Amino acid sequence: MDTLNPPLSILQAVRRRDHIAHNAWQVFAFLFIGLALAFTLVAAPSGDTFYFRLATEALIYSGLAMSVDLLLGFTGLLSLGQALFFGLGAYTSALVLKHVGPSFWTAMAVTLLVSTAVGIVGGFIAIRARGVYFALITFGMAQVVSKIVYNTRELGASDGIMGIPVIQANFLLFKVDTAQAPAFFLTVLAMTMGLYFCIAYLLRTPFGRTLGAVRNNECRVPFLGYNPQLYKMLAYVLAADMAAFSGALYPMLRGFVSPELMYFAVSGDAVITVVIGGLGTLIGAIYGSVILTGLKSAIGTYTGHYQIVIGVLFMLSVIAFPKGLMGYLSPLVEKWLAGRRENP
Amino acid sequence: MRNRCWKTFCLTFAALACFAAYGDASEPIKIGVVTPLTGTYTGIGQQVKWGLELAAKEINASGGIIGRKVDLLYEDEEANPLVATQKAEKLFQVSKVDFLTGTVNSASTLAVGQLAERNNKLIATTVSFSDAITGEKCSPNVFRVNAKAGMQSAALAEWLAKEKPGAHVFYLGPDYEMGRSTVAAFKSAAEKKGAKSTGEVFAPLGNKDYSPFFGQIRAAHASVLYTSVAGNDTVRLFTQMAEYGIRQHLTVVGASGTVTSQNIGAIGKVADGYVTGVGYSPEIDTSENRKFVAAFRGMHKADPDLYGADSYGLLYFYKAAVEKAKSTDTEKVRTAMRGIKWSTPQGMKEMRAGDHQAIQDMYAVKVVDGKFKIIGKVRGNTAIGPDTCQRF
Repeated sequence: MDTLNPPLSILQAVRRRDHIAHNAWQVFAFLFIGLALAFTLVAAPSGDTFYFRLATEALIYSGLAMSVDLLLGFTGLLSLGQALFFGLGAYTSALVLKHVGPSFWTAMAVTLLVSTAVGIVGGFIAIRARGVYFALITFGMAQVVSKIVYNTRELGASDGIMGIPVIQANFLLFKVDTAQAPAFFLTVLAMTMGLYFCIAYLLRTPFGRTLGAVRNNECRVPFLGYNPQLYKMLAYVLAADMAAFSGALYPMLRGFVSPELMYFAVSGDAVITVVIGGLGTLIGAIYGSVILTGLKSAIGTYTGHYQIVIGVLFMLSVIAFPKGLMGYLSPLVEKWLAGRRENP
Repeated sequence: MRNRCWKTFCLTFAALACFAAYGDASEPIKIGVVTPLTGTYTGIGQQVKWGLELAAKEINASGGIIGRKVDLLYEDEEANPLVATQKAEKLFQVSKVDFLTGTVNSASTLAVGQLAERNNKLIATTVSFSDAITGEKCSPNVFRVNAKAGMQSAALAEWLAKEKPGAHVFYLGPDYEMGRSTVAAFKSAAEKKGAKSTGEVFAPLGNKDYSPFFGQIRAAHASVLYTSVAGNDTVRLFTQMAEYGIRQHLTVVGASGTVTSQNIGAIGKVADGYVTGVGYSPEIDTSENRKFVAAFRGMHKADPDLYGADSYGLLYFYKAAVEKAKSTDTEKVRTAMRGIKWSTPQGMKEMRAGDHQAIQDMYAVKVVDGKFKIIGKVRGNTAIGPDTCQRF
């Protein structure tokens, strides 16, 4: 028996290393919140609207990127069609806000119900395949659904749905008007970071460990007594809910939805975001999204060929920083954390 | 001493105030242009840019608008409403533009229109032709200076009724929402003018073989075929029709996007005889248009198409409205724009107050030897149709 179990000291070292890595990401999460609040303090008095709304959009896309990271970085499933659920969330929330009533919570609740249902159906189709086949199936499903939406008059067809009202999100103690750029930014910040901490916690539970096992070696997982298909399914549905959750915020920000929300450009950007930010770090998705959204907006003003810049940046980050921004920065913080622990 | 200080301060302040007031009046009028500069619609964005640049050059050379120069600020629309709204917001909020134009994709125009409403700014499209923009989804902040889809089919139906009264028409559209709606729009316009519908089919996008549909066209005994396929689909449809000898007893008419300068070369001789309705052609024989075409060629070494002409006309529309309002204030300019008449290469246009759709003469054009020839003209008032805008 002893030969099968690794020595206790190795287990402890692994656990300690894991703990420090987790703490490093938490440091970056709190740093992000600090930066966002500092930005609010600087930008709010100047009466700015554009940068707040651009930052809000970056946060909304970061929710989508986190869902891609959950699948790719933690479960080993490359989804090239995550925009399907992002768009699904956006359309569901738009329809609820426009036709049922301008209630923030109803929109969110209905979105999560719909995305769970669609996620289960999509999961049944997609998780049977592995590797590149999984990627192609998710890509195909998103293309099919976006074309259906594009051609369905009841969903506004190519014109999308306009005229989604500005709403008051009721948080019991206070209300947030989605037209108030700084207030809505802080709301979306709170929701995105809330989502981050929830998922980060979940990934450290036995459920999250099992996802890691599926990523590392799916064939061995049944020998440990777990059903990998079940865990892949759960991860897929959870990722669908995350993408739909952030998608549901889009019409509240922009007041419209259109089939472009489900296009490959959105799915592809989410994958690029995760790779630039740092695969399998979760927090990297948030940083990556802010970097990508900011760059696109800034470079787009000077040249129409910003895609070249994004493409070069992507290649550089893959070659020079294969672990992404967080993968590069977090060892530095980990060293600092480890040092602090040894000399209290 | 103290008194002198006070005096200096007063003088400086007065001078500064003067300068500030003067500065405001001579500051350029900023016009945002959110138009596709990359991607599939680059060609359209290029024409929009060329048209606006020519008009801005002329206007600035003759003293600007109410003494202020015109400054054009470009952003790439990518023909994607998600991008267009973000770019438009930047122009409204950061660059503080006075007016915005350029959107091509109809969804972009609608989304940016809504954004303009929430920012209390005005926009105009020179390209988007979806009827909804000045119909059921109209906005008090959105104007359209180009002809909408309904006006194109109305012009074509009018021509058809005059040339072939009571014609038997067969419809062949591409099988997607836009294809179905263009067929439905032309069908109702033609039936109102006395044409008889004999059947309709929808072929998949990118269809390779159209011959299965030819039997249906034959069996329907149609004398006119209306089609709204586009791009390479048109090339295949026309070539195969010629191979099967279908064209001999059939007049082929269609949407303005079916045969364009992009695919006419590939279609070749079999495009001859095709008739469509458009709002502009460089062939229009008026002194304004000849002058415009010559200036356009001189500046850009290319011919203007309808997008270039309409974008050129747009700046004169804005100029006329601002000069009438004597201000760039949204409220005042909107009031001035309603019902205004202004001169364009296509002749006088009038902005209908009820739905913000420009009224303009329409043309029926026919392909002769690979070139579009004007064969009929339909007065703007007949082509435009009823005002269906409910919002204002």
